Amino acid sequence: MNGAGVGDSNQPQIRIRSLDKNSVDFVLSNTQLSVANSLRRTMIAEVPTMAIDLVQFMENTSVLADEFLAHRLGLVPLVSHNVDQFKYTRDCTCAEYCKDCSVEFTLHVKCTEPGTRAVYSSELISSNKDVVPVSDDESRGIILLKLRKGQEINLHCVAKKGVAKEHAKWSPCAAVGFEYDPHNNLRHLAYWYEKSIKEEWPLSKNAEEEKEADPDAPFDFKAEPTTFYFNVETVGSLDPQQVVLTATRVLQEKLVALQLALEEDQNPGAGTNMDDAEPWV
Amino acid sequence: MEVDSVNYIALLEVPDKKIEILPGASSDLTSVTFCVREEDHTLGNSLRWAIMQNPQVDFCGYSIPHPSEAKMNIRIQTVDQVTAVDALDKGIDDLKSISQFIKAKFQQRVQEGNYAKI
Repeated sequence: MNGAGVGDSNQPQIRIRSLDKNSVDFVLSNTQLSVANSLRRTMIAEVPTMAIDLVQFMENTSVLADEFLAHRLGLVPLVSHNVDQFKYTRDCTCAEYCKDCSVEFTLHVKCTEPGTRAVYSSELISSNKDVVPVSDDESRGIILLKLRKGQEINLHCVAKKGVAKEHAKWSPCAAVGFEYDPHNNLRHLAYWYEKSIKEEWPLSKNAEEEKEADPDAPFDFKAEPTTFYFNVETVGSLDPQQVVLTATRVLQEKLVALQLALEEDQNPGAGTNMDDAEPWV
Repeated sequence: MEVDSVNYIALLEVPDKKIEILPGASSDLTSVTFCVREEDHTLGNSLRWAIMQNPQVDFCGYSIPHPSEAKMNIRIQTVDQVTAVDALDKGIDDLKSISQFIKAKFQQRVQEGNYAKI
């Protein structure tokens, strides 16, 4: 175990198997199922990103309805490396939205040539150079809609910071692969089969990492899963390693908030808000 | 036309507490049900596990009483020497250090860089 300090043997271990622009594959071991699941759930639903939340239509003579397009715009991934610089609009001091809690986009396209004019997400003009629609260098992003001659689209969008537990458009993850016990030694799964489980259910590549239990040995009903195989795939709004690290940070922030609230509940008034200690009628 | 009456009582209402002790707790606080707001299985299940690791805890369980209410109830029963509040506090501390460790370990592994770069 390279780089492991003294006393690490009881602590969770991590081995990164692969890491690229859009995904990270790692093995989390020496921990418990509920902890691994908390990490998985936090990555999917509680890592903040930016996404379009308000759309104002000035002109829409395309074949798509306003609400249909607004929904599509909401799902466009936005580069969110600087999401920590933004506040949630509900925490911001502004009345509606401002540059501290939002980014504005405009899109104005009219098709004047005969034929079809595709409108791409990269054509959205951002008010903030750091928050732009995700696209590869060679691609123009996502096709938002198509226009024919004479049709026009002119709209204004407001992107806000949010988390996927409110709406899935804020999720930084396209998918999070999560597997444990690839040989089903713990019998957490009951496979459906016709003749033979082994023939009908191919093993995943993670099965190479673990040994199959002796089929003749008595079932170990006290055994628990300790090794978890993650494959985090992002939509491009955040780097995959950033998703994992932010998830652990969010988890810690939730625990700190709970601990502070518990202290406040046990010693009311000891904190900042002295008014709560005074009963008023 | 009738004018909508404003619900002034609702306007004066104090925002819900993040955590509170539900009625029915024992007076020595060794068996307590806490109600945590705006939390779900993400914290509930792992916190329940962390609290159960404490040998001074006799019982710990959690539930989400209703899917459309953002509430998570966690019940803790402890031996006489410690209170359920202490057990919850310790559980939070332990889980915090685990996630801190996972974070540090992941960061370390990313820096080491001996993984496949597809």
